[in-house]
Amino acid sequence: MTELFVFDRELILDRLGGDEEILTMMIDLYLQDVERTALSLVDAFDQGQADAFMREAHTIKGLLATFSDDAGAAKAFGIEQQAKTGEISGLQPAVAALQRRLYEVADVLRREMGSVR
Amino acid sequence: MNTVLIIDDSDINLTLIKALVLKLGECAPVLFDNPLRALDWCREHVPDLVIVDYMMPDMDGLKFISAFRALHGRNEIPVLMVTANDQKEVRYEALLGGANDFLTKPIDRVEFSARSRNMLSLRTGQKFLADRAAHLDALVSEQTQEIRNREQELIFRMSRAAEFRDPETGAHIQRMAYYSQIIAKGLGLDEKIQKLILEAAPMHDVGKIGIPDYILLKPGKLTFEEFEVMKGHAKLGHELLKGSGSETLRAGAEIAISHHEKYDGSGYPFGLVGTKIPLFGRIVAVADVFDALTSERPYKKAWPLADARKFLEDGRGAHFDPMCVEAFLAGWDEALEIRQRFQDEEAPMI
Repeated sequence: MTELFVFDRELILDRLGGDEEILTMMIDLYLQDVERTALSLVDAFDQGQADAFMREAHTIKGLLATFSDDAGAAKAFGIEQQAKTGEISGLQPAVAALQRRLYEVADVLRREMGSVR
Repeated sequence: MNTVLIIDDSDINLTLIKALVLKLGECAPVLFDNPLRALDWCREHVPDLVIVDYMMPDMDGLKFISAFRALHGRNEIPVLMVTANDQKEVRYEALLGGANDFLTKPIDRVEFSARSRNMLSLRTGQKFLADRAAHLDALVSEQTQEIRNREQELIFRMSRAAEFRDPETGAHIQRMAYYSQIIAKGLGLDEKIQKLILEAAPMHDVGKIGIPDYILLKPGKLTFEEFEVMKGHAKLGHELLKGSGSETLRAGAEIAISHHEKYDGSGYPFGLVGTKIPLFGRIVAVADVFDALTSERPYKKAWPLADARKFLEDGRGAHFDPMCVEAFLAGWDEALEIRQRFQDEEAPMI
């Protein structure tokens, strides 16, 4: 995934009705959960559980979309669609890329929180 | 306060939706990250709004809605399904499967607030209508009961009016009505019918209103002609009560015309035989005769209970329907309690 994640604060806040409190809460939760989320995706993939893997990809898609990461959400969507077919064996590079994306978004959000606080 | 049930396996979505629900005001969010546990909760609680994610492990949102709708009284609770933008087919399926509306991810606060408020308004309307319906129902029941009570009082007073022209008393009316109920119960008739005969039996002699005093109050034995006139009270009672809109009065009409029929066909006014005699008439015949025998009158002493019992036993198949006699004897102890409870007194002045 070559497109870098850019945190569009105004766009997200607009969706949240300008509520800074909710935005902060969501960033906190993302940062708390990002490790577990990334591991759940990799675990489901490693165990070859296509259904569970699809659900994890779906969850990540929603999570990234929440922060308006369209590129990341699109990547997760591609994985979800492939997992729906039940054939996931060739998805190793995509899984690794999505995992990196989760961490990349986390880094940007951490900086955002640091700059705000 | 509205209870909003939120089901999503993602903590961040649960937290986000909870925060948005709290911003709505007057809402208490209840959160579940597992749809099966949420369903268990719904068995005991009724939410005012359900917000459920589509894709969850164990049970997806569509199956949850279907199971939720199957619970008693949950058919009209508003449900919002949360789906991703790309799940158009799922949204269609959700709407057809019982969701009232849907929300797309990422959740937009304005859209969320508008749709949630619409759903909660719908729910408020439902509750208002349900409360109003319950209130009206209670009101109708109360009014109906008042009318029923008034009808019962009128029936009793009308029956007393007939009895006042007779040596018999108000207590006789009550005893024979309860004896009739005992027989109905012994015959296995349902409670509604037992109650009906209890209420209708007091009207058995209402036709005596139309019998001249010189016959009705004659201290000695009636002549053949006088007895023929006296027998007319059965038809008179029937004429008085028949064709009423009240089930109780119609039952009273049937009792009035048939309670002097005898099982072997030797009774009046029609000389009906066996089960051609209406059942209420056969029942009241036993109850009325038993009470007449065991009550003191100006012209006779009360029979001993054993003699009255024997009279009923001997009359099985002749005067009385054997089944009715058996039913009465089966409730003998209860009949004695009734006899004890309703003692003859001086008749009050009208």
